[in-house]
Amino acid sequence: MNALPVDLALAWDSLPALLRGLQVTVLITALPLVFGLALAFPLCFARMSPRRWLALPAELFVVFFRGAPVLILLYLVYYGFGQIKALREGPLWVLFGSAFGCAILAFSLNHAAYMVEVLRGSLNAVPHGIVEASEALGISRRNVFIWVKMPLAIRYGLKAYQNEVVSFTKGTAIVSVVTITDLTAVANSIFEQTYDPFTPILCAAALYWAFVNVLRIGFDLWGRWLDRHNAVPPQEQAQQRAAVAASAGEIPVPAPRRRSGFRRPVL
Amino acid sequence: MMHLSLPEFADYLRQLGQGALITLELFLASFALAFLFGVLVGILTLSPNRLVQGLWRVYASIFMGVPSLLVIFLIFYGGSAMLAAVFGAAGAGIDISPFGAGVAALTIVYTAYIAELVRGAIGNLPKGQFEGARALAIPPLVMWLKVILPQALRLALPGLVNVWSFMLKETPLVSLAGLQDLVASAKVAAGATKEPFVFFIATALFFIVFSAITLKLADRLEIRLERGLRRTPQRRDAGVRA
Amino acid sequence: MTAVPDPGIAVSVTGLVKRYGDHAALCGVDLEVRRGEKIVICGPSGSGKSTFIRCLNALERHDAGRIVVNGIELTGDEGTVQDVRQEVGMVFQHFNLFPHLTALENCMLAPRLNRGLGKAQAQALAMKHLERVHLADHAGKYPSRLSGGQQQRVAIARALCMEPRILLFDEPTSALDPEMVKEVLAVMEELAASGVTMLCVTHEMGFARRVADRCVFMDRGAIVESGEAARFFDAPASERLRGFLAQILH
Repeated sequence: MNALPVDLALAWDSLPALLRGLQVTVLITALPLVFGLALAFPLCFARMSPRRWLALPAELFVVFFRGAPVLILLYLVYYGFGQIKALREGPLWVLFGSAFGCAILAFSLNHAAYMVEVLRGSLNAVPHGIVEASEALGISRRNVFIWVKMPLAIRYGLKAYQNEVVSFTKGTAIVSVVTITDLTAVANSIFEQTYDPFTPILCAAALYWAFVNVLRIGFDLWGRWLDRHNAVPPQEQAQQRAAVAASAGEIPVPAPRRRSGFRRPVL
Repeated sequence: MMHLSLPEFADYLRQLGQGALITLELFLASFALAFLFGVLVGILTLSPNRLVQGLWRVYASIFMGVPSLLVIFLIFYGGSAMLAAVFGAAGAGIDISPFGAGVAALTIVYTAYIAELVRGAIGNLPKGQFEGARALAIPPLVMWLKVILPQALRLALPGLVNVWSFMLKETPLVSLAGLQDLVASAKVAAGATKEPFVFFIATALFFIVFSAITLKLADRLEIRLERGLRRTPQRRDAGVRA
Repeated sequence: MTAVPDPGIAVSVTGLVKRYGDHAALCGVDLEVRRGEKIVICGPSGSGKSTFIRCLNALERHDAGRIVVNGIELTGDEGTVQDVRQEVGMVFQHFNLFPHLTALENCMLAPRLNRGLGKAQAQALAMKHLERVHLADHAGKYPSRLSGGQQQRVAIARALCMEPRILLFDEPTSALDPEMVKEVLAVMEELAASGVTMLCVTHEMGFARRVADRCVFMDRGAIVESGEAARFFDAPASERLRGFLAQILH
């Protein structure tokens, strides 16, 4: 065995297949990010409602789809709902008739449940006095939400959102269990053909790493743009963000580098 | 609606129970190791040494940026070869079990997260704590064990709780390397009995309930640790976690 | 009880009660404010003065009694609340500016959303009022870049942009550093001269003497004494007001 565990020739030959796998991974990440977010808004409103009959079902949704491992959700949708004949042949066949539809559904439900908590934490972080000031100006509740609460909530919750998007993206690696050939599946099949335990997996890992870091850089740029004139005092913001990230149950990601001294804790 | 006999059902339940035990063993072993190494790495990487900092950054970036599943596969498929490369012929004979690969992979990945938390918590302690201990001529080991770490862990507790429940939800990944854990057993039972809902929902509830019980305990622990120590105003808002 | 609203009355409050659980924050407050009148409300902390003016634009919902503002009675109905808020501006102790908007955008938001003004119109309106509080030069700045006094003046301009007939001030200077109090009070005095109706919770007694038509002393959720400024300060009738004045004037 040579010093490098990677067989460069194999890596080069595998690259087209791996990139096709990456495409599937990107798609299977992006669609649930969109659907999950869209679903999270109404659920979050229900969850925050003072009416118990609205809040309770939303809370149960969050507890179940956030508390259960994604792998089980995927099995549940694919082997459970996906095998019900009436569903497969009914108008929802797009969803339940294909592995792809099942995966998108399971991932969307999971992401939505996480996003309900991210959104709720961010909205709760908006200072009450600012909302009150908007109300005193006679701005309608809908407009207060669109023009005041949401813009601030995005700033406070961006870190938590980033954490969720990153860990969600990594979580999609399980999708090969329902026969979808994503990046991980491609790496696995190359391993099975070549019995090289390192090259395909390390190459796939490198591509995941790049994808995740593109997302991270995107979020950093977005955050910097939102902060372009230091709109929210930095100290307050760091505290709020930390609180939102912690309350949303996120696992931490490295804080942006600082030139000197200790870092602020991410959580 | 159930079209399987009671003894059959009991048999599957027994298998599920065994799977659950394996899942818990895997989880607790990995968390304990990740915690131990996380604290150690967290302290060691406070060193301003450039090499240490560089190594830490590379390590954290890789294992926070790559799916845990790939790390599990890498160790499961490639572990023997790696051991052989390190220990020569003595290592070549060792076969890596799915359980061993799972513990190793989860430990490596979550050590990074816990170290990050510990670093942050120590960094957030007032400088006076170090200076005070030094002024009192307290030996470094005692200072770390009796002064710094207890306070740092108290600060890191909310984050550790998040890592705890997140890691729990990642343990089923090891079933994809062939471990007969709870999720694998549930999948077998669901396939054999054609009752996917019963078994998968039961499995999901197992994770949810276990997590809920342990989080309750963590809340108690937090309250105990906070007794008489109200010093940190920007703690996480109470009761926000679901 | 279909009293025709008297156009000369800006605010009419009778028997106002507000409870928080078992605690009664306001227990039967009566006050009538004529159009153009300047009222200063003072009293010890916890006396209910903030709660009182927050009831006037329904930031707090009252439990009993009647509140009529600009001829509109505040009931539980959302529509009347919105109608009242269109004509009542409010300035808060902690400014509560929108941190993600510039001073100019802070002022433009409500006119654009509530009155459907175009961007240019709203901008002209906002600039007019920013000039009024002497901050036209700072229109493009974000609140985090302004001093406390400047932020409070932006908050005043923001309230003015809705061209309210009544202005409520809830301790507008008590969160400010001493050297910034003056610039805010100066703006408030200029406003007073413009004829708008003002209700102001404040402990700035100099301001009260110069501006107030009437001073109101509240304690334990009720109005204890009220009267024109000179008599109020120089010849307080009640023991409680005398004690309070002795405390704040040393």
